Amino acid sequence: MIPSALATLLLCATTGLASAAESQTAAVANDQVNVQPASSRKAGATTAPAGEPGGKGLAIKTAKALTVPLEGEQFIDNAIVLVRDGLIEAVGPATQVAIPVGYEVLDIGDQWIAPGMVELHCHIAGTFDINDMVYLTNPGVRASTAVRPGDPKLKQGLAGGVTTVLFIPGSGTNIGGQGVLVKTGLDDYESMEVRNPGSMKLAQAGNPERWLIRPGRSFMNWNTRNTLQRGVAYAKRFEAAEKNGGPKPEKDLQFEVIRSLYKNEAQISTHTQIYQVANMTLTMVAQELGLPVFIDHGTFNAYRVAPRAKELGVNAILGPRGIDVPSFLMQSWAGTNPERIQGVAAGYQERGMDMIGFNTDSPVIPQEELSLQASMAVRYGFKWDNMETIRGLTIIPAKTAGIDHLVGSLEAGKHADLLLLGGDPADPRVGVDAVFIQGKKVYDATTQRRRW
Amino acid sequence: MTRRDHISSRVTSAQAGGLGVWLRGGLAGLVATALLGGVAGATNDTAPSGGTFAIRASKALICELDGAQAMDRAVILVQDGLIAAVGSEQELDVSEDTPIFDVGASWVMPGMIDLHSHVGGPSGYNDMVFQINSGLRVSATATPGNGRLRRPLAAGITTILYIPGSGTNIGGQGVLLHTHKAGFEDVLVRNPGSLKVAQGDNPKRWGYRMNRALMNHHIRYSLRQGKAYAQRWEAFEQGEAEEPARHINLDVYRDLEAEKIAISTHTQYFQVVLATLRILRQEFGFPTFIDHGSFDSWRLGGVAVDIGVPAILGPREVMWPTSPTRFPQDGRAEGSAWGFQKMGVKLVGFNTDAPVLPQEELPLQSAMGVRYGFDNSDMAAVRGLTIVPAIVCGIGETHGSLEVGKAADLVVLTGDPSDPRTTVQYVWIDGELVYEIPEGVRLW
Repeated sequence: MIPSALATLLLCATTGLASAAESQTAAVANDQVNVQPASSRKAGATTAPAGEPGGKGLAIKTAKALTVPLEGEQFIDNAIVLVRDGLIEAVGPATQVAIPVGYEVLDIGDQWIAPGMVELHCHIAGTFDINDMVYLTNPGVRASTAVRPGDPKLKQGLAGGVTTVLFIPGSGTNIGGQGVLVKTGLDDYESMEVRNPGSMKLAQAGNPERWLIRPGRSFMNWNTRNTLQRGVAYAKRFEAAEKNGGPKPEKDLQFEVIRSLYKNEAQISTHTQIYQVANMTLTMVAQELGLPVFIDHGTFNAYRVAPRAKELGVNAILGPRGIDVPSFLMQSWAGTNPERIQGVAAGYQERGMDMIGFNTDSPVIPQEELSLQASMAVRYGFKWDNMETIRGLTIIPAKTAGIDHLVGSLEAGKHADLLLLGGDPADPRVGVDAVFIQGKKVYDATTQRRRW
Repeated sequence: MTRRDHISSRVTSAQAGGLGVWLRGGLAGLVATALLGGVAGATNDTAPSGGTFAIRASKALICELDGAQAMDRAVILVQDGLIAAVGSEQELDVSEDTPIFDVGASWVMPGMIDLHSHVGGPSGYNDMVFQINSGLRVSATATPGNGRLRRPLAAGITTILYIPGSGTNIGGQGVLLHTHKAGFEDVLVRNPGSLKVAQGDNPKRWGYRMNRALMNHHIRYSLRQGKAYAQRWEAFEQGEAEEPARHINLDVYRDLEAEKIAISTHTQYFQVVLATLRILRQEFGFPTFIDHGSFDSWRLGGVAVDIGVPAILGPREVMWPTSPTRFPQDGRAEGSAWGFQKMGVKLVGFNTDAPVLPQEELPLQSAMGVRYGFDNSDMAAVRGLTIVPAIVCGIGETHGSLEVGKAADLVVLTGDPSDPRTTVQYVWIDGELVYEIPEGVRLW
């Protein structure tokens, strides 16, 4: 055990080291972060802290708010963010947003505010009971049964700024089951859940080829189409019954999720990479069946499908492999200079696609390094003139998962999932100093032990 | 290797003195320089190579260990492969006929140095016939400018310590090489570059599977032989003894005894690093550095400082509280660089163990060091890529910083190298342009 005085010293040392050149200003700002909630707690222990449901309003003053709405200006300098009842009430320049009487004011000085990050490929929100391989298609299996609130890996991800995850089945079978969208920093499953099913996980090529009798891509393609086709027929029977008022068909656990897909209430998250495989995702799922789907991974030379993906409205959530190295998979490489590394995100962008997000496939890459995926995309050619890095960590995955009305940007009415940090989240040297989820401070590097 | 025969053949612009006002003339060949003090040379549109030239940048990362770290609006004068002068554009006198390459808003810095690389040759650097191989030289397998060095060069890494693998306790002699494509003699910085010692882990798998106690005995036994051999030569050189018989396995210890080279030690975990410090440095007094230094090694930082052992960290930069634990922790992810720095180690550098991590991601190692707590407020991350590894491997007098008299290994880039979003634009080694990224040719 470390004596408490020593622990405090250690803590001071770590926070002091936290954020590069801004450390001094950040430290000043952090003091302000601490002071206000502490005093409010003294004032009345029974009321909820400001910003949370039941508490008074919270006004956060910041040097820069990365608002990243889907359209429009992507950031506001010298901004005020009003938070009430766990929601964002208003965001705007300090000159235009009046702080209502009675609101607690939190001035974070030079620190920035960004929306909590949204990670659409996560396997760490619970135990690893998410890759059952008894059958080759498992649309009825639910990852939600494995969620474990407060999982240590999830807490690390939270300290890296990830507030919403799509916890999905593994890719050992063609259809691994149903993912679930959850918030990372809350204490019980009911408050964590954002949507269940969050997605249906489809895996094409690669991993499922290892299943039992070693199916090839043609068989897997047929098997997947067969399942989806039957599911769509099931959904249509329900639709007809609802429309015509006839007796409802008997429920089938296997196909319920495909009803959600058919009604556009969930998406297919597709483990797909390499041009030929990704192209088959577009053909089979988007074009032939018309189900909502996004490309997950999308690596190697899969960026060649970008124009077609854009046309079909299929977004790409890329990672954890960020580059296509010609020497690694020469047979599929499409570039002109045999020495050139092709950045995967840059590949989609260069071909006109703009709905590009990032993932970690955690634990393949630690979830707290989600933002690094965006940094490395820039290193390998991804243009970020209009905050494409931040958008790919927030609003684009939110839109892709159909939860952009709840999270993904700093806009009035959305969840107050906020990151306070010393600068650009896409600079890996910048540490997250505090995280709010629905107005509740769930991580504070200055009062809790900094997780790094 | 001169890539351009006519350095000033495309001089097209003129400069109005130290005011920073540029008059783009467009008259090819015309050199009109108004002398209002400060830099006065002729400006160059293309990157110069060889001979005498100057680079003007919005910021120069000087990277002295103690002292100057950065200089705004700086000019670096290069003459015959060496840095001839460094100064601000107002102060530095550059003669009229010196071509000046203005890189605008870009920065200039010394070439980066990776002290743990296995990509200097195709293979053959991990021979495991014997358990102790002090006589083996990886220089025998060095392939200058091989395909795996192209991308590191494009990332601004100009020098590598190409070392043997860690399959045996003493893998052999590393070699310090430049990364550009040229003859072996042209890329050679120093041979031997280091003696590679590996403790713990990998060498345990050798032959009949050894444990750490026997391995430590083997290492001590070999070092004892080597030191005695070196001392016999020393005595001979001072006229106190007969000339000893040459021993090909022990010659490298003469360089170690003379402190011309250091032992690069594959070592990690508290207990293994403790053995490194006690045996290699305290018992035998050889220059030694910790290579890897991952997991909880940093707790020995205080001892390392006291006995003069630096740390070159990577490719694992952080220890997670959720990883299987071998030791008590306080529930926080611990950055290796953060730990060593906290314990007072000033000479903290970074490595990639390429190809374990791609060599071109060396600067990313420093970024992740900072992410996990390493204090970069005075540019320690950049020093960890430049002057620190230079000093650690004994080439600090000639490489690793922008100081007069040092080799003109220069990198021009769009910003701070410890931000991975930064792009390298030009690289010079010994004053020769070895990489540039005109459109269509850049490697990423």
